[in-house]
Amino acid sequence: MKIVFKFVSCLILGDYLEQFNLKLMMKRRDAISQIALLVGGAFTAPTLMAMDVRKGNSSIVAVDFSLTDAQRQIVSAVAEHIIPRTSTPGAIDAGVPAFIELMLKDCYKKPEHNSFLKGVNDLAKANFLAQPAAGQVAMLTLLEANTKDLMRSYSQKKIKVGDNVDKDTLEGANGVPFWRLMKELTLLGYYTSEKGIQASFVYEPVPGKFELITDMKPTQKSFVY
Amino acid sequence: MNLNIDAIKGQTFDAIVIGSGISGGWAAKELTEKGLKVAVLERGREIKHIEGYETAMKNPWEFDHRGRPTNMAAEEYWANMRTGYTANEETRHMFENDSKNPYIEKKGGFDWIRAYHTGGKSLLWGRQSYRWNREDFLANEKEGIGTPWAIGYDDLAPWYSYVEKFAGISGQAEGLDVLPDSDFLPAMQMTAPEVHFKNAVNKKLGRPVTVGRVAHLTQPTKQQLDLGRSSCNYRNKCSRGCPYGAYFSSLSATLPAAMRTGRLTMIHNSIAAEIIYDEATQKAKGVRVIDQNTLESKEYFAKIIFVNAGAIGSTSILMNSKSNRYQTGLGNDSDQLGRNIMDHHLGAGASATIEGFEKDYMFGNRPNGLYIPRFQNWGKDKRSYSRGFGYQGGASREGWGRGVGADGFGAEFKESLTHPGQWTVGFGGFGEILPNPENRFVLGSQKDKWGLPVLEFSAEFGQNELRMREDMMNEAATMLEAAGFKNINAYNKQDTHIGLGIHEMGTARMGTSVKNSIVNKHNQVHEVKNVFMTDGAVMASASCVNPSLTYMAMTARAAEFAVSELKKRNL
Repeated sequence: MKIVFKFVSCLILGDYLEQFNLKLMMKRRDAISQIALLVGGAFTAPTLMAMDVRKGNSSIVAVDFSLTDAQRQIVSAVAEHIIPRTSTPGAIDAGVPAFIELMLKDCYKKPEHNSFLKGVNDLAKANFLAQPAAGQVAMLTLLEANTKDLMRSYSQKKIKVGDNVDKDTLEGANGVPFWRLMKELTLLGYYTSEKGIQASFVYEPVPGKFELITDMKPTQKSFVY
Repeated sequence: MNLNIDAIKGQTFDAIVIGSGISGGWAAKELTEKGLKVAVLERGREIKHIEGYETAMKNPWEFDHRGRPTNMAAEEYWANMRTGYTANEETRHMFENDSKNPYIEKKGGFDWIRAYHTGGKSLLWGRQSYRWNREDFLANEKEGIGTPWAIGYDDLAPWYSYVEKFAGISGQAEGLDVLPDSDFLPAMQMTAPEVHFKNAVNKKLGRPVTVGRVAHLTQPTKQQLDLGRSSCNYRNKCSRGCPYGAYFSSLSATLPAAMRTGRLTMIHNSIAAEIIYDEATQKAKGVRVIDQNTLESKEYFAKIIFVNAGAIGSTSILMNSKSNRYQTGLGNDSDQLGRNIMDHHLGAGASATIEGFEKDYMFGNRPNGLYIPRFQNWGKDKRSYSRGFGYQGGASREGWGRGVGADGFGAEFKESLTHPGQWTVGFGGFGEILPNPENRFVLGSQKDKWGLPVLEFSAEFGQNELRMREDMMNEAATMLEAAGFKNINAYNKQDTHIGLGIHEMGTARMGTSVKNSIVNKHNQVHEVKNVFMTDGAVMASASCVNPSLTYMAMTARAAEFAVSELKKRNL
């Protein structure tokens, strides 16, 4: 019996969890009504410079992108909430906020610039920085839950693109939502920074061998090469 | 007067090899080792082994954009962007800027990924190395598709063995007809979930699974050590260039071997514009090149010419070589030049998550995966399409990247991402594309900055490929399910083109007669007998296995023939 999997997309565990979280979050939605601004906004233009870049397709070329100091403060605060300083360096220590701005400017186009700025401005309108830490966390938790609705218009796929090379692609119609951009760029900026790598992983740029481990302890740090 | 004679002397060799990539490197090695003075004409810049690999030893944080392509790169490297990895920050400098090297897609699409420098794409290849099987050479004739091959497995078998011993191919002997064994160096290890997968698929579906066969040294021979090569260090940063010479490339292996004979002259920045045909002798007498920087024209002369510029490059040189005798391109009596572009189609398969194996992990970054040999239309198996596909893939534990799509943030989240995540697994098919004379390129009317015609491509998948892709997706899911894996995600990307596999083949096919093909069974242009083509251009069909090993074997075989003919004064 052959099962056709054609229409089964993205059955990652997270999707099931998302359903439950979403219900919990809905209750809190009324409490912080300003954050409702974050969902359902209309985004412009198609997205992601991805697999189908056509020759001469410059309709969504990069434009200048920069943040105001007030916006930078929000980005820094959000990044630090995602990766806070603990016994190891945090996002700010590792230079993540500047990295996020650089990446948006150099590697993303108008749709993501718009969705990112909208997200920052919505947080500004909601007086994010004036909230106590717990309030900020609550706002971001709600933001994360709401972003799941937006992310449903994207499908995530692992594509074989070459010998031994897989690529994760994200396909969707609008600019990638603010929270997703923040999270992705914060994690990328932190876990590939010198401080982040040295503090988080066993960094082995020249392993010299390939060896199977059969008794890994739960405390084992990831090897990074 | 004397000066002119000296100048011509300096430009005259026994043999010219056009291109220094995977097959050109082999031609240079074989011809010089057999006593010929050889010039290799490389259109691109010089990259020196080890010192030329500028990103090889960089740490992740030394890349400004941590490897990602910038908008500027995305615009200029528009064809490379389609691969999803070649335009990234780690390797972009090794690939060509598509805007500066334009080509035109007239119908369908074609991903033409180029690498103009010493060693060409041998520095960047996937290193997966498989022999063709007996049926691969017979399928065209049996099915009446394309043109019959002029050689069979037995013609290449000793040459496969010859090149394998020199290049170093790591793999596991399996004794399968569908995937003949090579002369192997020790195989790389499979991880625990991969062993589980192999056993389950074998037991439940009767399909063999083996570890990838790769051109990496796992236990170098003296011959390999003498060339300065050493064992794989399991960094998996291969396409940045390997400072250890652990994977086979022209730079790590064939060019140093050729160089130590004292008979090799490397000529860089020289774009082969045309092969000069001598109407009187009915042979080629040399090659006209254009300096890629100064645009100056220059001619080199030789008794034999090996055309190894990559499938599309080699054929376009022949097309550009027009004479009274050959008005549509050298050797083109059959009108086959430019036709039957092939590749391996990919972008269909499945991925899944694996429960358990929490205590299994690995140290080292294996530059290799698993291989599932073709099982479709093999033996008693019959499908609704012709030919078949193999799978490449493997299992690994998730890294910090899993955090991007997962819930949570903050201290606990941060700490959790420092540990290995769950095991995930994925397999993607590499499918055979049938030869179709309408999948072709021609010289266009536009000229590039060197005054050479811009190529125009028409290439589209046929029904056979499209039907095969459905099966590639479904069978991958079936196998992951057989192994008990969870959350299976099957995919079949719809917007891919021929060329995405970067295994471009065809356009100057081998065949049995000047009427149906460009080269004969010795890789000799039928009626211009001192011109040899031994790269992907000559492929009359594509098989589903990665092609480079076959180019190597074909080149070594043709080089021996060429030198023996030269000695017999037949050339």
